[in-house]
Amino acid sequence: MYRTVAKQLLRGARSRVSGTDVRLRFPNPHSTISRRTFSPSPTPHNSGEIPIPRVYVDLPNSSESTASPSSSSSAGSSSTASSAEEGRRHTRERPRGEYQDEQARVLQSALRHVLTLGWTEDAMMAGARDVGVSPSIVGSFPRKDAALVEYFMDDCLEKLIDRIDSGLEFSNLSPSGRISKLIRIRLELQAPYISKWPQALSIQAHPLNFPTSFKQRAALIDEIWHASGDDGHDIDWYVKRTVLGGIYSTTEIYMLTDSSPEFRDTWAFLDDRVRDAFDLKKTIQEVLSLQHIWQKLLVLEWGTRFKDLSRKFFNGEAYWGHLS
Amino acid sequence: MALRLASRKFGSKFLSMLTATSSLHSHATSFGFKEVREEDKSQLVGNVFTNVASNYDLMNDLMSGGLHRLWKERLVSKLNPFPGMKHLDVAGGTGDVAFRILETVNSVKRRAIQDPSNDNLHEERNPLKGLGETKSLIWAEGDAEALDFPDNSMDGYTIAFGIRNVTHIEKALVEAHRVLKRGGRFLCLELSHVDVPLLKQVYDYYSFSIIPAVGELVAGDRESYQYLVESIRRFPPQDKFALMIADAGFQKVEYENLVAGVVAIHSGLKL
Repeated sequence: MYRTVAKQLLRGARSRVSGTDVRLRFPNPHSTISRRTFSPSPTPHNSGEIPIPRVYVDLPNSSESTASPSSSSSAGSSSTASSAEEGRRHTRERPRGEYQDEQARVLQSALRHVLTLGWTEDAMMAGARDVGVSPSIVGSFPRKDAALVEYFMDDCLEKLIDRIDSGLEFSNLSPSGRISKLIRIRLELQAPYISKWPQALSIQAHPLNFPTSFKQRAALIDEIWHASGDDGHDIDWYVKRTVLGGIYSTTEIYMLTDSSPEFRDTWAFLDDRVRDAFDLKKTIQEVLSLQHIWQKLLVLEWGTRFKDLSRKFFNGEAYWGHLS
Repeated sequence: MALRLASRKFGSKFLSMLTATSSLHSHATSFGFKEVREEDKSQLVGNVFTNVASNYDLMNDLMSGGLHRLWKERLVSKLNPFPGMKHLDVAGGTGDVAFRILETVNSVKRRAIQDPSNDNLHEERNPLKGLGETKSLIWAEGDAEALDFPDNSMDGYTIAFGIRNVTHIEKALVEAHRVLKRGGRFLCLELSHVDVPLLKQVYDYYSFSIIPAVGELVAGDRESYQYLVESIRRFPPQDKFALMIADAGFQKVEYENLVAGVVAIHSGLKL
């Protein structure tokens, strides 16, 4: 059994010179989310008796499609979020390599040093020292600074999901109000790090790191849409995500230069942007409905003309039929 | 010269005959394509290196076309050294890797998060003489299978082009695991197997025809370089070696092929 475990470990172990896409690297956002929601304590949740290195077999597709046996499938948008969450929780049951736990612990403690040291290897090394692990472990992260930022992004997304699950006061808010609230909650999570956030953004924008950061942001936007319960069928799925992504990014950047107490100006800015987007949606809806009216009018007009023509044509026949 | 070669050939044939009869009784290991008794391997390897020592650097440059420098740079950058690190470089030879690590560490001192009172680099050497400069670099003689260092004492362990000369590779790996701290990394740079079809033939031709000839021309020693290229072929392929590293207790075992497999850097993490 140990051999097959190690073989599985190595089947994904081939890495190219650029070091991209190794299975054993810091895992993709979906799997990371599923891992860390499980327990607050950093101990590996499988029994620690087996001293062999365990393998985390990364199967991102299965996490989404796994049917959770315990999810209650009640109607409503909240169940979509929670069943997706349950699906994610199911993946956590898989055994995963201890080193990933250790890496997560190092990153978690590194976050405490970010305000003084920035999103850098130095912060990660300080974090490693705090946890009691040699700072050499930082060398095992493939894209070091990015690993820290990505961990933080995943962490924030998890916290957002937890907040949503633990119940929010939504029912009295309009869709635009809900979206505003959700974005505000998410951005407040990164408010403590706002002094170093520009550095994090530049790290995320780096070509090597951009694919992962894009995926993480897409997951975040997805989550916000699901939670806000907006299921209008009028605008395209992609358009919705793009618009919301735009709102989120612009607000995030606005926040960087906002010095008002408790970011009051940022929330006002956010509300304005969301309102604009919903106004835009209404405008598009009106245009489309106008289009339907025009179509109906045209059909009526030409339909009448066609009826007249055909009456003229068939009148003769009716006349003749009448005679015979 | 010819007589010497002939007597060596005869000697090695005799040795292999001996082992053929006695293989049931003692453990045999490989010395290039020859099977030799375990007890003899380290002696034989020692002889090889005594012979090649004087022209070692020159031959490295000639054989790899200067690429070995790049490979070592890649090894050191993968290691990601930091100030205050305790590092062990095994089979260091003339100290290439150790010096590179020292340079890297010194150049990043400006962003050190603590003041290192003493960068400690320990170096283990084969029967080659060398000079230690400052307290940063310490040369030590020893055996990769039985290291002289306490448990959990090193942040990093590298072995560049040395592990295939060890008699019991598993023992060396276990020792590496013992000596590393939690979070410490094991890195091994070694000549490895090429699987790419066309390149493989070119590489084989180069290895078996050209290198021993160059060895003879430059160092006057065809046999040692013949041993060298044979030992490369006998060394386990990348996947198998990675399994061996995992067996020793390392986690996150990965490897990176350089030049399509001519050289591979294996890495492991101790937790």
